[in-house]
Amino acid sequence: MKTIVRLLAALLVGVGLGLVYGWLVQPVHYVDTAPGNLRADYRADYVLMVAQAYASSQDLQTAQVRLASLGPQPAAELVTQALTYAVDHGFSRYDLDTLNLLAIALREAAPTAEIQSP
Amino acid sequence: MKGGLLLLAALGLGIAAGLYYAWGVNPVSYTDTSPASLRDDFRADYLTLVASAYDAGGDLQRARARVALFAYADPGPVLAALAQQRLAQGWPEAEARALARLAADLQAASPSTPGAQASTPTPAGSATPTRTVTPVPSPAPTRTPTSTPGAPFRLLEREPVCDETIGRPLLQVEVVDAAGQPVPGSEVRVVWDTGQDHFFTGLKPDLGVGYADFEMSPGLTYTVQLVDSDQPVTGLTPGECTTADGTRYAGSWLLRFQQPER
Repeated sequence: MKTIVRLLAALLVGVGLGLVYGWLVQPVHYVDTAPGNLRADYRADYVLMVAQAYASSQDLQTAQVRLASLGPQPAAELVTQALTYAVDHGFSRYDLDTLNLLAIALREAAPTAEIQSP
Repeated sequence: MKGGLLLLAALGLGIAAGLYYAWGVNPVSYTDTSPASLRDDFRADYLTLVASAYDAGGDLQRARARVALFAYADPGPVLAALAQQRLAQGWPEAEARALARLAADLQAASPSTPGAQASTPTPAGSATPTRTVTPVPSPAPTRTPTSTPGAPFRLLEREPVCDETIGRPLLQVEVVDAAGQPVPGSEVRVVWDTGQDHFFTGLKPDLGVGYADFEMSPGLTYTVQLVDSDQPVTGLTPGECTTADGTRYAGSWLLRFQQPER
């Protein structure tokens, strides 16, 4: 019985050492990340840059391609999220308007789902 | 003795299990990464986006802060090289031009140059996009002074260059505005018997933001024209130069264009 307890204790200590080493000392190192993994502030700034470029070029397709790098969510949703972040974190009115214009353009461009009544 | 071995075995098994869990089952999750960790192609896209946003808004201070995320010691040449690379890969010219402009402006402006004003916090508004946008004054652009739109550039100087240090014959182009300031982002077309190409000023900011060059091949005759000029420069062939010890080598041409005062 005593031996089993010792073995279990040793096993647990080993697991603990493994976790410490794997999570803290030598964690998995990601160097080739995608924009979709960016922190919220960087994501918001990314969307803002897309909106700034769109405001000048009016090229909605390029804006949509750029936003697609952030993940599978609809582009309009990504811009709305960025807009929410921008409002919460005190972005300038100019930035908010820039984001707003892109959001409007994306919503207008989105195909509207029509529900047909039988 | 046997008990000690068993303990060691259990410890080793535990470590292996812990590592398997930490590395395989539930590794540290990098969901909040910074742009610096982006894969090379995403990084190029990100920097291009920074340049496009700068080209649109002219906020150099903000562009510099965004580029600083990548911790380049000297971002100008990096951006210039990226501009050339993307141009060669067939990306839109506007992107290459924006990268070249940002490279040139970062190179030209010292870090202490006052850029655009810092963003002013605004009262919280609605996060829902609305159709009515309150008109607000646009921030003052801080873009580097460039040419006056519409005024065609004129050839100011056409000069043969014999410089052994260049190493190969070049078509060197310098573009300045009416005030004599170098103009980055000017498109230059070069045509020869069997082909044509184009390049932009400002892609080599270390040689001047209004500078561009193109390598000539022996035996070919070139015509050079600024896109913003109605004056082609014809009959350009690698010149004949001689070193002090009598060795002959192919020389270059330097073409200076300036926008006339209106």
